[in-house]
Amino acid sequence: MSLYNEILIAKHFRNSVFKNSAVFIITLFIGVLLLYATFSGWENYNNQNQTSEKYQHESREDWLNNPDKNPHRMAHYGNFAFRKSTSLSVFEFGMEPFFGNAIFLEAHKQNSANFSEAGFSNSMLRFGEISIAMVLQILLPLLIFFLGFNAVAAERENGTLKLLLSQGISWKELLLGKFFGIASVTMLLYIPTIIVLILVWLFLQNFTISLDETIKMILFIGFHLIYLLFFCTIAVLISASSKTSKKALISLIGIWLIFTIILPRGTQALGAYIYEAPSKIQFNSDIEKDILKQGDSHNPNDVYYKAIKDSLLRVYKVDSVQKLPFNYSGFIMTEGEKISSKIYNKHLETLLQVYAKQNSFSRATSFVNPYIAMKNLSMALSNTDYDSYIDFQNQAEKYRYEMAQKMNALQIKYISNIKPKDTDKPLIINKNHWAEVGEFHYQPKGILEVLKNEIVSIFSIILWIFLLFLLIRIAAKNLKAI
Amino acid sequence: MLVLLFKNFIRSKGTKIGLLFLLIIGFISLLTGQQFQEKQTQNIQEAAVYQKEHIAKNVKFHPDEIGLLLYYVKFSLVNNTLPINSLAIGQRDVNPSIQSVTIRGLEGQKYDSELNNPNNLLLGNIDFSFVLIYLFPLLIIAFSYNLVSEEKESGTWKIVATQSSNTFFYILKLFYIRILSLITLLTIVLFIAVLFLEIPLDKSFWAFYSIGILYILFWFAVCFFIVSLQKNSNFNAVILLTIWLFLIIILPATINTYIVNKFPVPEALELTVKQRNAYHEKWDMDKQTTLDKFYNHYPQFKKYPLPDKEFSWLWYYAMQQMGDDESAKESQELAVKLKQRNNASQAIAQFIPTLHAQIQLNEIAKSDLGNQLLFLDETNKFHEKMRLYFYPKIFDNEAVSNENWSKFKVETFNDTTEVHLIKSFLPLLIFNLLFLFVGCWNFRNKNSY
Repeated sequence: MSLYNEILIAKHFRNSVFKNSAVFIITLFIGVLLLYATFSGWENYNNQNQTSEKYQHESREDWLNNPDKNPHRMAHYGNFAFRKSTSLSVFEFGMEPFFGNAIFLEAHKQNSANFSEAGFSNSMLRFGEISIAMVLQILLPLLIFFLGFNAVAAERENGTLKLLLSQGISWKELLLGKFFGIASVTMLLYIPTIIVLILVWLFLQNFTISLDETIKMILFIGFHLIYLLFFCTIAVLISASSKTSKKALISLIGIWLIFTIILPRGTQALGAYIYEAPSKIQFNSDIEKDILKQGDSHNPNDVYYKAIKDSLLRVYKVDSVQKLPFNYSGFIMTEGEKISSKIYNKHLETLLQVYAKQNSFSRATSFVNPYIAMKNLSMALSNTDYDSYIDFQNQAEKYRYEMAQKMNALQIKYISNIKPKDTDKPLIINKNHWAEVGEFHYQPKGILEVLKNEIVSIFSIILWIFLLFLLIRIAAKNLKAI
Repeated sequence: MLVLLFKNFIRSKGTKIGLLFLLIIGFISLLTGQQFQEKQTQNIQEAAVYQKEHIAKNVKFHPDEIGLLLYYVKFSLVNNTLPINSLAIGQRDVNPSIQSVTIRGLEGQKYDSELNNPNNLLLGNIDFSFVLIYLFPLLIIAFSYNLVSEEKESGTWKIVATQSSNTFFYILKLFYIRILSLITLLTIVLFIAVLFLEIPLDKSFWAFYSIGILYILFWFAVCFFIVSLQKNSNFNAVILLTIWLFLIIILPATINTYIVNKFPVPEALELTVKQRNAYHEKWDMDKQTTLDKFYNHYPQFKKYPLPDKEFSWLWYYAMQQMGDDESAKESQELAVKLKQRNNASQAIAQFIPTLHAQIQLNEIAKSDLGNQLLFLDETNKFHEKMRLYFYPKIFDNEAVSNENWSKFKVETFNDTTEVHLIKSFLPLLIFNLLFLFVGCWNFRNKNSY
């Protein structure tokens, strides 16, 4: 099979595009925008990671430098979990501006992730952000539509379409030729972008890259390529099936608006409307009520804790908790922490299920909207998606729980059971124990897990590829010259 | 003539679909607003009930020591939500409208965020301000991009030109009809909103409405200017959509990035780490030193000397106070930075009508960053008030039963910032006149019509 005719048509199309000075201006402008996006993404990434690393390190030092003290004091002194970004988040900010960046981790209490960029911004942030991903996913498709709307429709208007077809060019050759034409113009922007992207990415990590990150990067590039080619195909197909170039342009603009603005926001808003999530005050008071139902460790007369006390006294055959061979209040706190975190996790799970239901609407539209599929996939690859955030919070909570229980265990083991008198020095343990609690390290999700999570998006992109091939075939058979 | 033109306009299928679409989505935005309003009201009611139960329960559990009791008890301050807030939710979904704080160190409690689904925040609400800022312009563009050019392309323009005495007035009439229908649409939706969301017809509402009208006129002025260039329909569509894209996404996003990088806030994390250390290190330090610092801040409490005990509530709350006192500098810096951010974005927004309109609507609805900063300030005052009320009682170890606990109701903060009409209207007005003037000038100078 020779592609001679296709290549000829593509070349012709490309030449006609470059005769238009507006294309130069737009292309130049998008180039500048891409540079700006790379620069600001870089700066943002560095700021975020340097600050977060600095304070993670500083707070760890602080923790270790605590003098000898009661382990329960340390449990309240607590630790911090600071969120770190992955290298791909330079190009795809995803939900990052809406994530809290720091969680204070202490005993008895699950604190919220605070200090998100969105909380410190006025409404400006809601208009969106300039990132490489935004340019690739939103602006380039529109540019493709602007380039391609008159690919076939203009030939029809001029009457050259009939000439072409009568000279023995088939519809399939014409469509493919125009597709190659638009795609080659798009690649003139895409390929340099990718080269810059890879260089920036390599520099960021000082050329020491992990396999996991590399696969994510390759998929990021590959899927965006497929995504852009979609839009080239859609442009050609709409242009070929429209009577006039004006109709083609209006339809393409409509499709773009629906894909990038109306469907994503509309479906998410619908999900949020139908599945209403509780507010913080409601969430917290529900948890508090459940914990009280189970028993209040701070209430000396509580039935649940009294039962524990009685059974301990029976087993150790003593008549008061002071005579137990271990620290009684440490034991009770271990139990309390276990119960309260179990209840908290149960409520959190319910809350996350509500969120998942809210998100299910927009997720389901991946099958009709390639933008959503691409957006979800690229956010997942750069660990700036919803799942990664939940994952960060889970890791922080797990660390918190282990830290609190470690301090309780130290108290049980080393702290005397006899309460010191008012004027006595407090009971303390050696500061070397503090190092027994490891440092918090956020571990971003690996590629396999990301792909598993995003199976819907990948599946829908594959489906889109088939669909477009099919549409080209159908169009090639059924299109008319007039 | 005008009636005929109107009939011609409204009979077109595209017009009907467009207007109907906008009307429906306008209603949807009101539903979103209503749900938001209900949730806010419910939260405030719940906060009141919760506070009552919470205090009663803790008073029952800790009846002996007022110092211990106040370790637990939380007091709530509500940031009043106006009904008009449902039209422009703004930052109220990110920032909590209720602060619940104990009298312990405030800096560790003040910045707790609201629970939310980041996906909702990323993709955004469909509140009325979204419909107005994003979607109205699209319809305006769709209605006006092919005025004149379409008639020229189909060859009917010559007939118009020969039949009407003044083609310029003819063009103005075409715009007039379209402006009228969209302003009517705006009025209908807002009128329903007034009934449905119980929005009072006060100065805020009229300011909101006027910004809506000015904003619609702005987009018509832009379209008028582009039509005056007398290019073909395709060119007009591409250029108008590009302008929309610039004003709605590219410029706001670029400015946002600029502001974020210009005023970074590492103070936030610095503050959190610092207040924790400032409080906790006092446990291992000389008690009298801590108390001396405390007396320095509050000389009125000098009459309470350090008790000769390993632990005392006086010492404990003095330590807590140090958490706030010693991180006050960072806290102040953070507040200043945020104010700078707010001022800078407002100043720049004056030159970008979309951004300006959004910020002004949020300001009117008390859902902007400015309101949040005032609320944080008020939280400081509220916290200080509670602190000063209870400190002497704790230091005297007054009996818990002496206090009438039921009097501690949820308090409300009302943001009374006045709407600056000139500041909010003038930028839009200037842009409108500018485009109108240049458009007219173009029409006058091109005799081709």
